[in-house]
Order: sequence, then C-alpha cells, then structure tokens
Amino acid sequence: MTITQPQAFKQIAVEEFRLTEEPFYLPINDEIQLFEQAYERQIPVLLKGPTGAGKTRFVEYMSWRLHEHLGDKSNEGVPLITVACHEDLTASDLVGRYLLEGDNTRWIDGPITRAVKVGAICYLDEIVEARKDTTVLIHPLTDYRRLLPIDKRGELLEAADGFLLVMSYNPGYQSALKDLKHSTRQRFIAIEFGYPPRDQEAEIIRVESLCSAEDAQELAKLAEKVRNLKEHGLAEGVSTRLLVYAGKLIAQGIAPRRACQVAIVWALTDDLEVQRSIEEVVTSIFEN
Amino acid sequence: MTSTQDLIERFTPELRGFGASLPDEFAAALGTLERRLTPEQLEAWADQGVKLAHHSLRSWEAAAEYFRASPEIAPRIDFDTLVEWGETAAELASSSALMSAAYVKATPALLDLLPAEDLTPLANLGERLCRGNWKSISLSSLFYSTSPALLGVLTLSALDEFVDVIDALTERSYELATACLETAAGVFGQLEADDREAFLRFARAVTRASWADTRLYFERGPRLLQAVESGQRADFLDLAARVTTEIGRQGYPLFAEAATSLAQMDPADHGDMIRFARRLATGSPTSAMEYLKSAPFVRSRLTPEQMERWSEAGRDILFIERNAEGAEAYFRLESTRAEDSLAALSARVELSSVGTTLRLYAKALTGEQIAVRSTEDLVDRGIGWVTESVATTEGTSIYLPPYVNAYEEQRANFIAYKVFTTHQTGRLEFGAFSYRYGEPGTYTGGTVLAREANTPPPSHLEASDAPQKLAAVTPMQRYFDLFADRTMIAGLFTVVEDTRIDQVVSREYSGIREALRRLQSYEANRRPDVRSMGLQAAFVENLLRASLGRPDTIMWPMPLQSLLGQGLAALRVIEQPGATVQDSAEVATALYDIMERIPNIVSDMLKDDWVAYDEDYLSINPMMPGGGGDGDMGPLVPSGEEVAFQNPPQPEFRGDFKPELVQLLMQLRLQQQGLQGDAVLSPMSAEQLKQLLENSVEITISEMAEGDLSSTLGLFLSNLEKEAGTPQTDQKTQQGEQDGSGGVEEEPGPMEDLPVEVTWKYYDEWDFRAGDYRPRWCRVGERLGEEGELDYYDDTLRKNHGLVMETRRQFEIMRPETFRKIKRLEDGEDVDIDAAIEFIVDKRAGTGPLGRIYWRRNKIERDVAVAFLLDMSASTDEEIEKQKPKYDQDDDFDDDPRKYFQWLAQRRAKQALEPPKRIVDLEKESAILIIEALEAIGDSYGIYGFSGYGRDNVEYYVIKDLDEELDDSVRRRVDKIEPIRSTRMGPAIRHTIWKLQEFEAKVKILILVSDGRPQDHGYGRDRTEKEYAVHDTHQALQEAKRAGITPFLITVDKEGHDYLKQMMDDVGYEVVDNIESLPRRLPSLYRSLAAE
Ligand SMILES: Nc1ncnc2c1ncn2[C@@H]1O[C@H](COP(=O)(O)OP(=O)(O)O)[C@@H](O)[C@H]1O
Ligand SMILES: [Mg+2]
Repeated sequence: MTITQPQAFKQIAVEEFRLTEEPFYLPINDEIQLFEQAYERQIPVLLKGPTGAGKTRFVEYMSWRLHEHLGDKSNEGVPLITVACHEDLTASDLVGRYLLEGDNTRWIDGPITRAVKVGAICYLDEIVEARKDTTVLIHPLTDYRRLLPIDKRGELLEAADGFLLVMSYNPGYQSALKDLKHSTRQRFIAIEFGYPPRDQEAEIIRVESLCSAEDAQELAKLAEKVRNLKEHGLAEGVSTRLLVYAGKLIAQGIAPRRACQVAIVWALTDDLEVQRSIEEVVTSIFEN
Repeated sequence: MTSTQDLIERFTPELRGFGASLPDEFAAALGTLERRLTPEQLEAWADQGVKLAHHSLRSWEAAAEYFRASPEIAPRIDFDTLVEWGETAAELASSSALMSAAYVKATPALLDLLPAEDLTPLANLGERLCRGNWKSISLSSLFYSTSPALLGVLTLSALDEFVDVIDALTERSYELATACLETAAGVFGQLEADDREAFLRFARAVTRASWADTRLYFERGPRLLQAVESGQRADFLDLAARVTTEIGRQGYPLFAEAATSLAQMDPADHGDMIRFARRLATGSPTSAMEYLKSAPFVRSRLTPEQMERWSEAGRDILFIERNAEGAEAYFRLESTRAEDSLAALSARVELSSVGTTLRLYAKALTGEQIAVRSTEDLVDRGIGWVTESVATTEGTSIYLPPYVNAYEEQRANFIAYKVFTTHQTGRLEFGAFSYRYGEPGTYTGGTVLAREANTPPPSHLEASDAPQKLAAVTPMQRYFDLFADRTMIAGLFTVVEDTRIDQVVSREYSGIREALRRLQSYEANRRPDVRSMGLQAAFVENLLRASLGRPDTIMWPMPLQSLLGQGLAALRVIEQPGATVQDSAEVATALYDIMERIPNIVSDMLKDDWVAYDEDYLSINPMMPGGGGDGDMGPLVPSGEEVAFQNPPQPEFRGDFKPELVQLLMQLRLQQQGLQGDAVLSPMSAEQLKQLLENSVEITISEMAEGDLSSTLGLFLSNLEKEAGTPQTDQKTQQGEQDGSGGVEEEPGPMEDLPVEVTWKYYDEWDFRAGDYRPRWCRVGERLGEEGELDYYDDTLRKNHGLVMETRRQFEIMRPETFRKIKRLEDGEDVDIDAAIEFIVDKRAGTGPLGRIYWRRNKIERDVAVAFLLDMSASTDEEIEKQKPKYDQDDDFDDDPRKYFQWLAQRRAKQALEPPKRIVDLEKESAILIIEALEAIGDSYGIYGFSGYGRDNVEYYVIKDLDEELDDSVRRRVDKIEPIRSTRMGPAIRHTIWKLQEFEAKVKILILVSDGRPQDHGYGRDRTEKEYAVHDTHQALQEAKRAGITPFLITVDKEGHDYLKQMMDDVGYEVVDNIESLPRRLPSLYRSLAAE
C-alpha cells in the first residue's frame, strides 16, 4: 500500500501500516466496549449497517485504540488490513498466489494471509459483494483453532494472537442474491450501526467538515427528514458521509441549498420526483 | 245612393244563401264604401265579393272577411290595388277558403306594416307553404294570421327566408313547422333587430343539418344568445351557421355549448374570441367551436395574455402544421400538447400535479405515512369536515385545496402549497394532537384538574332527563368539557395552538420562514372588519392578528386595553421555544377566563374608542395572567346589543383544526387495530361516541345530512369507522366507497365484506389523427385475479404430463452457465497450465514477452423478467374447432355488444355440460406450462390478464405478480382466467410496461397473447373506426421498446394479417396457425426471446 505524504513518497508494506494520529470517532453506543471485549476473546465481529454510517471509521479507530495489545506502545495501533470486497474477488486474491519472476515462481501472500501472520485486524468491507465460494474460505479462521488453509502450498497457517476477523455488511440491499449465508453470519457477533441521533450526528458533521455548529445542526435535521423517505423511492437514507461532504462545501462558502443539492439530493437518487421532494425539504430548512 | 240600394237588392238574396249574417255585413260595408268609391267601382267591388262567396264550398267565410275588412282597407289603398287584393283573395280561395279568409282578415293589420304593393308578394309567401293537403293549408293559414306579428319583427325579405325554413321543416314534420311558426314572432321579438337575420341564417343551416334541432334552437336560442355581448351575436350566429353547414348535425349542440361558455367569459372579450374562432373556422370549423367551449376552463387558469399564447399555439397546429385533427384535440383539451402548454403557461398550481411531491415532503417531515388529498374529497366523506377549500388534517391525510392561484408566479403558488402543507404536518410533527389531560407544559402548570373539581357538569348535561355523564373518550374532549362555551374554548385553543405551530415551524424551517410571513401578512390584510364583531369575537380576532405577526392591524376599544394586553402577553407565552400543546391548553384556558369578563356586544357608541394597538406589542413580555380575579376590570363597559358568540374565520393556510375529532379518529384506529391507545381509556362505546359527536363543536350535524339526528349520527359513525378502518394509502381507493349504508338505528358494526381492492392508474392514449396523446385518457384498475379451484391446475398438469416434462427439460438445459472461464489474463484465479507451458517455451525461445497465463471465472448472472399479458376479452370464449366467428364482427360487435354477450350467454348455457375447448382454455394451459417452465429456469415472471369496457374501466387482473412467489393462490387464480369483455390493448400494455419498469432486471420481455384485433367501446373516434385502436396499440408497443422492454405478440387470429403488419411494425409477432399448438409454442418462443 502506498500513501503520499507532504514531503516525500513513501512505500510501506500493508502489515506495517499504522495510523499515526488518533482518528476522530464519536461513540454512539457501547460499540467500543463490545469490540474491545470481542478482540480480547478473539471473537470475529460483523459490523452491520448502511453505508457511510461510520463502520470503517470505527474499525480504524479501534485499531488505533487497541495498540496496547501488541505491547508496543511506541508503534501506535494494531495493524489494520482492509479488503474491499467485490464480486470477482477470488480465494487467491485473499490468500495469495504464485507469480512468475524471471524463470522462477514466487509466492505472494494475500492480505488475509498477511493479517493472520502479523496478528492484524483483517477488515473485509462489504462482504456480501464477494462470491459465496470466497466467503467460505474464512470459515476455518473463525473456529476456535483459527487456521487458514493455504491449499496451493498445502499449508495450514495458525493465526497470530492479535489477529481478528472483522467484516462489514449492509443489510439495506435486501435481495436474495446479496444476502449473507447463514453458515457465515453465525460465526460473528454483530454490532449494529444505525444513523447517529441528531445531536451526535451534528457533532460529527461539525468536527469532520469544520462547518459551523448551526449548519451542522441543520444538516443533521435534514438527514433525519430525508431518512423518513426510506422505502419511499429512496433505497437508502442519506449517509453521515454525504452530510460531511455537504458540510465541507458549506464551510468552503458554497450556499447551503446548493451544497445539499450536489452532496445530498443528486447523490441520493435519480428519481426526479423524489429529488424534487428532497429539494423542497432542503429549501424549507435552509434559507439560502 | 241608388246604386247602393241597387246593389243591396241585387245581391242580398244570393248572399242570404251563404249565411244569415252575410247580407248585413255586405250592407254595412257598402254603407261605408259608398262615400269613397264611384258607383262603378262599388259595383265591381261588390261583384268581386259575391264571386268570392261563390267560389267554393266555404269561401263565403272569406267573403265575410272581405266585407269586414274592405271598409278599413279602402281608404288606404287605391282602387286598383283593392281589386288586385280581391283577386288574390279569390285565387287563395281556390286553394282553400281558410287560407283566403286568414289572408283577408290579416290585411288591415298588414297595411300598418307594409306598403300596399307588398300585399301580393306576402300572399305569395303564404301560398308557397300550401301543398293542397289540409296540414299545409292550416300551416299557411297560420302564416297569414301571424304574418302581422312576424312583420313586426322581420322585414319582408327576412320573412321570405323564414318561410324557406318553415317550408324545409314541413318536409319532415308539420307539427314541428307549426310549432316554430307559432312561436316565431315571440322568438324574433326577443332578439335585437340586427341579429334577426343572422338568427334566421343559422336556423336555415340547422334545419338542413338536423331538422329536429330547429325547435330546440327556437326555444333556447334567444336565451343562449342573451349571454353573448350584444354587438357580437350576429357574428357568432354566422360562425355557428358556417360550422353547421360544414360539419352537419353537431352544429346546434356545439353552438349551444359555445354560447354557454361565452356566458362565463367577460363580455368585453367576446369580440376577440369570436373573431379568433372565425379565423379558426376557415381551417377547421370544429376547432373554432371547441376553442370557444374550452375558453372558460383555460381562462380560469391563465391570464388573458397567457391565454392568447395558448390559443395561438393551437392555431399554429391548424395553419402551420396543417393538422386539423390535432388542432381539434388541442382545443378540446384532449391532447398532451394542450395540457402541457396550459401547464407551462399557467401560474396556477394544481394539487394533482404536485401531490406526489407534497406527499413525499410531508412524509419526510413527519416520518409518517401521510396521504395528500384534495379537500374536495373530505367533504364527500362525511366525517365532520364541511368546509371546502381549506387545508386540514385528520391524522393520516393532509387535505389541501385542489389548486392555488393566489400569486402571479408558479413558484410562489407552489410555495403557498408548501406552507399549507408544512403547517399541517407541523401539527403532526409538533404534537398538536397529542394533548394529554392534566400534564403540565414547559411554561405553565396543569390547572385543569383543579378546574375540573370546580366545574359544574357542562350545561348540555344539566337537563333533568339528561343521560348520566359518560366518561370522556379522548383527553381533548375531557378538556373541552371543562368549559361552558365549547365554541369559545375551541376557537381560542385553535388560535393559540396555531400560533405555536407557526412559531415552531418558522424556528425549525428557516427556509420557509419568509414565505410563511408573507402568507400571514397576506391573510392579515384580508381579515374581516373587527369593529362589526361582538367584543368577544373581536378579542379572538385581535389575538389572531397578533399571531399572524401583524399587531399593527389590531383594533380594540380603549377602555378594555388592559384585558387585551393580558391576552397578548399570554399568547406570547406560547411563542417561546419549547412550548408544547400542554402550554397551549393552559394559555387558552387563561384567555377563556379573560374573555368571560368581556361582554359580547356590538356597539356603535364604541366607534371612537377603537384604537390601533401597535406601540407596545413588541415589548410585551410573555406572561400568564395573574391568579385570582384582579380588580382592574373596573372600567365601565359601554352597553350595546348583546350578540351570540361566533369565532372569526380561520386564515386559509392554517385551515381547519379539529383536535377533538382527530384524537377520536386516532383512538378509533388504534381500537380497530386491537391496540389500546391510552391505558386509561377503555374501548369506547357507541353511546360515548354519540355523546362526543353530539357535543362536539367541530361537527355541524345539520350540515351533514338531512333527516333526524339519530340517522345522521348513524351515517356519521359508520363513515368514521370506515375512516378508521382503512389506513390511508394514497394510491389505493376502494371501489364502491361512498354508499352511505349506515343503518338508521344500527350499532356501528364491523365493516361489510371488503370489496375487491382496485388500484387505479391513468394512462395517455395515442390519437393518431391528432398525432398527439390524449392525456390521462384511460383508467386501468389493477386487482388480484379471483381464486378458483386448485384442481384445475393440477388436472392440467396431469393431463399434459409429457409436455410439461419435456418443456421443463428444455428449460433446464437453458439454465445459465453461471461461470465462464476467461483465459490468457495477466492476472487471475490460477495458472492455466497450457498457457504457462507455452509461455515458458516461448520465453526460452526468446519470444513472447507477455505472461498471459492466468485464467479466471467470470460470473454471468441470468437476470430476466418477463410479463405475460393475456387477452381476457369475450371473444376468447370462441370454441377452437370453429375458429371462424359466427357473428359478423363488423356489425354486431361494434354496434351492440349486448347482443353479442347474449349470444355468448346462450351458447354458454348450451355447452355447460360438456364444454368444448375454447381459446381461453388454451391460454390457461399455456400459462400453466410456462409457469412450470419458468420455475425451472428461475427467471422472474408475471402473468396478467386484461379486459374491461370503455376507457374508464380497463380491468387488469394479476394472476401472478413479478415479485410474487408461485403458490397455491396463484394456481387458483389461473383457474379463474375467463372471457370477460372488450380488448383495449393500449392501456393494458402501458400498465404492464409500468410494472416492468418498477421491477429490476437486465432483460425485460413483454409477451402479449391475444386472439384478435384490439377493440373496445369508444376505442376510436367513432363506432366504426378501427384504425385508432390499432394505432394506439402500435404506439404502446413502441413505448415498451423505448423503455428497454422487448415486446412480442402471439395471436391466434389467422385472418389478422392486414392490421397486424401495421400494428406490429418492427415488433415481433407470431400467428399460431394450429391454435392447439399454443401451449407448446409459447415456451419455445420464450426461449428464443429470452436467449438474447
Ligand atoms: N461515529 C462517528 N464518528 C466520527 N465520524 C463518523 C462517525 N460516523 C460516521 N462518521 C463520518 O462518516 C464518514 C463515513 O463513515 P465510514 O466509516 O466510511 O462509513 P461506512 O464504512 O459505514 O460506510 C466518515 O468518514 C466520518 O466522517
Ligand atoms: Mg466503509
């Protein structure tokens, strides 16, 4: 993985990546505690909730917070390896494969293998997107033995202590095709991520976007109203992420109505009728 | 002298033979005439008279008239004319003595109106009507006797034309001709002189085009014309005449409708309108009249300038596009273009076009499922609201006026709608209906309990025979029960609560604060005069003005200043952030107490003392009035006439507020759902309900229905129960809703059997002649198909076991190959050994630098949705052996469907024992087969049937919906696929398109199964037109293609090739030759269609 830094170009291996600053995370419920306990007990965690509700941020935050488990306080954070799942994600993509190098082949560990080896949090984002045969691969890892079979090499890998499997899952797209297999989901404890209550959401928006407290409050109010439209032409309510975007635009001096239009109304739906209704809610809430 | 005597002696004996009086009349006439005429002339005159008497059997009667009239006439005409006159009389007598007598008798009066030389021409007019039979004779006699009156209103030449009209009528009906002639003088008399000839010209046209309308025209024409601006009537009549000449029998009805429309327009505009219509008439006479007919409707939506632009657009269709049919449809408002241009030009906003937006908006604001309806609906429902055009809510629906036209700009009108809606949703969102008895508010304590302890039972319960007081059903009722004057407390509570809602709304929704303020101000400027109200009403009125943010409009008697001051301070309490409905109740209570100290008098003496109350309002601090009755109530209140208290009218945007009723409805709903709202409240009894309704000030029973109170209540209760029992979803309406079956003494019972639930949707229809859609022309009612027996499905499966298995197998082969291996990738799932070896070989050989040695599987998902649309028209009842229809389709079916149904019914009865296979049976079998096949393959599919009669009633049956699982009810519904009525294909196709669009799938297919050409009552411009239906169907199929759907038609109509080619165009279709192969054919066809 590569990240760009202000001065120079820096290349680091996934498992070595650490967050260097505490991510902002506003706890909504007892999710921090739950996660800590799960980590302690090595119970895999399923984060359930709509997109943009803070799941990824939460995992990042937890990896930062749990650094003590490595006993290495100078080097902040448990390593976090994130895999964005997609429908073509194969077992080799996760576990690893042979590559040709000159006249030889070389084995490359996949992200899950790396996480297992170094004891990282392995975060499979949007797990339902992955093919079902791929999903099955993780089953042995969730057993008490915590093993990862690597068929191609005829090996079994035992997970290091700090390893934890975390997946996220959006129950919103309820469709037979994109449902999580029961045999899979029953191996995880599930933490629900709903949309935060108005005041907390406003706080998140304010901190993340640097807009004024009033604008943040209005955005959170708008979110509440728009979410009332779920299942009425809207597949999903507006995410905190979109609100943060709107807040950022407002903080940059874009008129709130316009900011909401581009960051919320148009982003949410292509249905003109629904767009119009949401715009009316926007214009009721914001003066300009 | 002697000559006179001579003549008497000579003729008397002769004359005596005709009748006793004749000689005397003769003698009397001679006596007068001898002074004017020479003896020779006298003799000639006498001779002529006597000859007349001799002329025919009854011509002596004419002679008598001759003798009577002559003395009057002679002085006014010269002798030659007199002789000519006598000759005319004789000539007429040879046709009929009656005619002659009538003519002669009328002559003196005629001479008042005509120059002498016109006498003969007039006589000729009458003669023209005579054809020798007695009917014509009496008509022509009638003509003579009315001719003086007619000449009073018509010139001779006009009369000439009129006779033509009458003459033409006689060819149809003497009775009609007579009636017209009898009334003519009166009719023309009602018209202005300048219009009479034009009136006649049109009469002539009407008579030619449709003679029977002439009488109507005579009867109603003058009154219809009265409504037309006086200078314009002749032009209008000429227009009508021209139109009638060209288009025939519709002429008069169009004239009548156009005139009625003109009556609704400003007379000052008539001239321009008629001129415009005349211009249109040169291209399309019908358009001209349709334009006039539509004008009032269009005008109600557009300003004059906008209307001009609208009309010009229609004119361009006529003259530039040269599309007369299109222009007609445009001006008849039956074209999408007309509607679009109307909507684009109009500032007026219709609820029907913004309803969905507002519904979603309301849903967003409240989080509740809220229907947006027109206030017109509410009045119909009879649940206690009686005012139309005022917004309101009853908990699950918001009622809004059907349109808003207050501002010049569309956006402003829409915003007004939004403010209306926000106020209504505000009531729900901010808890206007959630009053809880006795609980304190944010700024006030709950005083009601203490008050209840001190309150005598409400006055209406005091009567000795009053039923014992029942527990209040709702908290609101219990609260209102505390006050002696319910009207007053309800009025105060409304003002207070609305003030609070407006405040919260403008605090929470800064975006509409400005619009709300504008609307408040607009309302404040339209308040009734406060000084003409009783003082109590004036008190409420002033509170209202303050609450509209316009304290500057307050007017109040100086001596009572401090009371209003206290009131305003109390009202301010409610304006503070965080105030709740509990506070509103307390503030209303406090205001009530203040008001009780004000006499409700209207007094002139007070006039000078009324002062504006502006200066300090803004500085008034929120404050509840002090505890006990303070002493400052001293001021002497001028006496005046005491009046009954009445609440001032509500500002429109706030609409009706009926918290008591809404709480009741909510309570009923909960009860209906088996939930108990408040633990405190036990299920309410009918008795309690009645009591509540009788006492509630919100319900004006008398306005609801005539009849005794108990039956009214019964009706009311059953309406309420219905209301509570049907959760409002805005798209669904129930069939057969409003029959007020509330039995007189009945306890409100459970609802009757649920009628079939029908969801209505409207679709445009393509009018190929106009080249435009007729907007919202057809109404499609979707309903679940009826369920029959399961046996049918199972039996069919059993009987066709072989076929079913075979089809299933074929489909299973087709099952998608879920993964496809893709080779030669740079990266992939695994190494492809062959490619790897090749690569290494190449590499060793020094070539082939690219390491494309991986493969991966790509997922291919089968994502097909198909909708089958089955023709359930009556003709599918045909037996398949005799496919050739027995009836002659061209005549019987179109002209009299009843006959056809009769024929079918007879046949059905005959075949009841051993039914031969019919087309519909094959459709059913095919349906079963295809179901089995598709279940094997896993595609999404829907099966629908359609029929109906007329454009308002296209029946659409769901056998299996696209997202429905196959189960026994689906199987049962297949059994009930039956021949019903007609075949209006267009709307059925459009509805299916809609269903497919709502469904998510990559490949969408629509398969229409039919047995013949589309036809339905009114599916065409007239009864015989068949092209219309074919074109509309064609258009609907094209719409499907545009929506990304593959349409396909399977028909068993072997003879149908002519229309099929036109209808299907580039859309695929197949004519199943051997009809019995349909069940076999359908699945295989589907395979080829879905393969792509
Ligand atoms: N509880 C929270 N604390 C801080 N930020 C949050 C929180 N919830 C959501 N966010 C914001 O929302 C954005 C999207 O969250 P993210 O974790 O990416 O959503 P998800 O992974 O659920 O799709 C984050 O970048 C952050 O700005
Ligand atoms: Mg995420």
